[in-house]
Amino acid sequence: MRGHSYKYVATQVKFFIEKGKFLLIVSNIRMSIVEFGQAKGLTSTPNRGLAIVDFMVRLLAVAGTLGGAIVMASTEETLPFSTQFVRFRAEYDDLPTFTLFVVVNFIVSGYLLLSIPLSIFNIVRNTAKNTRILLIIFDTAMMGLLTAGASAAAAIVYLAHKGNDRANWFAICRQFNSFCERISGSLIGSFVGVAAFILLILLSAVALSRRN
Amino acid sequence: MSTTVDIPAESSAAAKGKAPLIGLTSLSHAKGRGYNKGFAICDFLLRLGAVISALSAAATMGTSDETLPFFTQFFQFEASYDDLPTLQFFLIAMAIIGGYLVLSLPFSVVAIIRPNAVGLRLLLLILDTVALTLNTAAAAAAAAIVYLAHNGNPSANWLAVCQQFGDFCQKVSGAVVAAFVSVVVFMLLVVISGLALRRQS
Repeated sequence: MRGHSYKYVATQVKFFIEKGKFLLIVSNIRMSIVEFGQAKGLTSTPNRGLAIVDFMVRLLAVAGTLGGAIVMASTEETLPFSTQFVRFRAEYDDLPTFTLFVVVNFIVSGYLLLSIPLSIFNIVRNTAKNTRILLIIFDTAMMGLLTAGASAAAAIVYLAHKGNDRANWFAICRQFNSFCERISGSLIGSFVGVAAFILLILLSAVALSRRN
Repeated sequence: MSTTVDIPAESSAAAKGKAPLIGLTSLSHAKGRGYNKGFAICDFLLRLGAVISALSAAATMGTSDETLPFFTQFFQFEASYDDLPTLQFFLIAMAIIGGYLVLSLPFSVVAIIRPNAVGLRLLLLILDTVALTLNTAAAAAAAAIVYLAHNGNPSANWLAVCQQFGDFCQKVSGAVVAAFVSVVVFMLLVVISGLALRRQS
C-alpha cells in the first residue's frame, strides 16, 4: 500500500516538474520575442526619420538639377549690333562643355525621378538593406557624373568671366552680359544637386550601419 | 524508483539545433568575418593604387613647363600650369587628395585587423565621399580646359594652344587621365565600404 502511494507521489512530482520545464521554455521564447520586438522598435524609428530626410533631399536635388539644365539650355543672346557677315550670338551650343552639362543634368534628374519610388519603399520598410546598398551604388555613380559635368562647366564659366592673357583667350562675358549671368546661375542649381547627393550617400550609409 | 530529475544545461530545443537565437548569432559572426576581411583587403589595395594615381597626376601637372625654342625680343613662348588658374586648382586638389589617401591607409589597415568595426567603416565611407567630390571636380575642370586647349573654340575666338605647345599639352592630358583613374578608384572604395557595412549590420 505504501509503495503504491510513493509511486503515485513520485509520478505527480515528475509531472509537475516536467510542466515547470515546459513553462520555463515557453516563457524564455516569449521573452526573446519581446526583446527582439523592442530592439526593432528602438532602431526602426531613427531609420524612418533618415528615410524621410532622404526623400526630401532627393526632391530638392531633382529641382536643382532640372532647374540648372533648363536654364542652361534656354540661354541665348544676340547682341543688338550685327553686320552682314558676322553674327554676334551666343548659345549654349557653341561650347561643347555646356552641351555636356545640359545632357548630364537631364540624365541625373531622370535618375533621381526614377529613384524616388525606391526611396518611398525605404520609408515604408525600415530594415531594407538591399535597396539601400543599391541606392548607394547608383548614387555614387551619378554623383561622379554630376560633379564632373558641373565642374567642367564651372571651369568654362570662369574662363568666360576672366579670360586668359597667356593663351590669348578673350573673356566673352564682357560682351554677352545676360548670357553670362544665366550660365553662372544655372551652375548654382547643379552644385546644390552635388551637395544633395553627398547627403544622400551619407544618409544611406548611416541607415545601413544601424544594427537591426 | 528514483525521483531525481536532471535538467539539461541548455533547453531541449537548443540541443536539437532548433533554437533561433543561438544559431543566428554564431552564423552571422562567421559570415561577416570572412567576407569583411576580403572587402577590407580589397579596400587597402585599391587605396594604394589611388595613392599612386593621385600623386602621379599632381607631379605630372607640376612638372609640365615648356619653353619653345624660338623667341622674339618682347615675348618668350613658354607655357606652364601657372598660366591657367584651373590647372593650379587641379594641382592643389590632387595634392590634397594624395595626402588624404596616404593618411587613410592606417585606417584601412585597422579595418582589415578588425573586420567588425562599424564606426571605422562609416568614417571611411564619409571621408571617401567628400574626397570623391573634390577629386571629380578638379579632374573635370582640368579636362574642360585641356579640351579647349586641344580644340579651341571658333565661336568665342579661342585658339587651340596645343598646336604650339605639344609637350605641355601631352603632360597635362596625362595628368587629367590619371586623375580620372583616381576618381574611378574612389567610386569603388565607396561601394566596397557600403557592401561591408551591409554585411556587418
